Amino acid sequence: MKKWLAVFCLSLFLFLLASFAFGQEIEIRILHINDFHGFAEPDQPLGSDARLGGIPYLAARVNELRKEKPSLLLSAGDMIQGDNWANLFQGESVIEWMNAMRFDAMVVGNHEFDFGQEVLKKRISEARFPILGANVEGLAVLKPYVIEELKGVRIALIGVVTQDVPLSTHPRNVAGLRFADPVKTAERYVGELRKKADVVVVLSHIGFPADRVLAEKVKGIDVIIGGHSHTKVTKPVSVGKTLIVQAWEHGKALGVLDLVLKDGKVIGFEGHLEEIRPKEGREERASLAILKKYKERVDAVLSERIGETEVDLDGENVRTRETNLGNFISDIMRQASGADVTLINGGSIRNSIKKGEVRMKDVYSVLPFNNYIVAIRLTGRQLKEALEHGVSAVEEREGRFPQVSGLLFNYSPSSERGSRIREISVAGRPIDLDREYTVATNDFLAAGGDGYRAFGEAIESSGDFSAVGGMMKREKVVYSDSGRWLRDVVAEVIKERKRIAPRTEGRIAEIR
Amino acid sequence: MKVYVNQKSVDVLPGMTVKHALTSAGLFQNIEASAKICDEWGNELGLDGALSEGMRIYVKQYKD
Repeated sequence: MKKWLAVFCLSLFLFLLASFAFGQEIEIRILHINDFHGFAEPDQPLGSDARLGGIPYLAARVNELRKEKPSLLLSAGDMIQGDNWANLFQGESVIEWMNAMRFDAMVVGNHEFDFGQEVLKKRISEARFPILGANVEGLAVLKPYVIEELKGVRIALIGVVTQDVPLSTHPRNVAGLRFADPVKTAERYVGELRKKADVVVVLSHIGFPADRVLAEKVKGIDVIIGGHSHTKVTKPVSVGKTLIVQAWEHGKALGVLDLVLKDGKVIGFEGHLEEIRPKEGREERASLAILKKYKERVDAVLSERIGETEVDLDGENVRTRETNLGNFISDIMRQASGADVTLINGGSIRNSIKKGEVRMKDVYSVLPFNNYIVAIRLTGRQLKEALEHGVSAVEEREGRFPQVSGLLFNYSPSSERGSRIREISVAGRPIDLDREYTVATNDFLAAGGDGYRAFGEAIESSGDFSAVGGMMKREKVVYSDSGRWLRDVVAEVIKERKRIAPRTEGRIAEIR
Repeated sequence: MKVYVNQKSVDVLPGMTVKHALTSAGLFQNIEASAKICDEWGNELGLDGALSEGMRIYVKQYKD
């Protein structure tokens, strides 16, 4: 019986191969997502009343579409970091779901490095599909490409990721790695793989504008499946003979690309995005089970006792005066970034914590926003201007009011706005207006949030950014860890110290 | 890194996203629920989408 089965399979294989060789049209399907960022539950996008996405619904649609044609399921990166559902397990939940979904391949995105190389290696070892990174040098577990076969069609998948990885994650996460030019890398592999495959696909995590450049510069790519820019490419875009697709973000849409092949060449295509609309009763069981399992674990982790505070932590008065919670958070930011001082907006602190046990969810309610630490060199004059701005609307209890570390200042709230700051000292010395200080803040203020302009001015004068040997090299920006939320940094410190008792110390004084 | 929001030039750090560019342009907090953010080719962008040097993005009302 086994022998007959083997003969039958071999015959079928040869038949399919022959069909392909003798000029029959063959249709294959590529299903793709990108920038999932752990959003396992439906998400409500800007400008929409409807919730979209959710892995049980996405999976159900994938399975329906798979039944229609021989298909590949691919990801263009940034899967394992973002939402709590992923972050609290360093992406393990996402890989488990991708395994259950039988993904065929993914390219590593910049945020795949956010938990460090050891965690990434572990995730790769857990994945039952290849993880690609042709332009990443120094991480041998990433494959440059794979060749898949569907209905006798050989499909080469090459993976490339943005060269900006070292600029957007903590330097330790990319120590010893080099990110080569994606265009040159793709050029090299496309030349090699055109001889071995019928279809050449680049799984790209470099962003839609860069995908267009890639398509213009490298001939011989049939399809670029993109990510990184979270672009909703509703129909495939043709640049020369290359098709570019990208499926938005967070699993809110599934990319569907059907290719028609004849004599080893793509002769036709149809592509579209399908928005994933949750509908009760249509959940795919395995994905629903994985979603629920890790949701329960999320609840358990958030309820976990991580330490104890000997005093009430004041998040109520952060918009009008120095508070012990503002001091605690800004001290942690200064320490983490190695900055001289910290300046954050009181409005970023949204809750208080009562004396006693501190749970993970307490820290998450204090810092609910996805903010991360940035440190920028400001002159003493810019720092003073930033503080002036910070106290300029204290009467209205605006969120811009500063919480600080590493400096003391006093101000007169009754004076004219813009002239309220009287004295500032940094590390026990009067501020030098012409000297540069490294100032830690959050990404919101660094981008000009709450009307803070000083950071933007410094960034503007910062010149070019570059990555040298895996380290950031730039004039004014000395630290930027976009892959690690501030709340997780704070929670980690509480876990380490076990007991905390921050106090107010006269860092901010009113002159009446 | 310089990007353009509704033709206005803003400077952001590598690693920053569409949301940061809107913040820098003073548009993020006042953005209406009916707005969509698009690139220069008219493709909608997610708020967490990565930016690139010289990228042009536009805030468009849903009814446009």
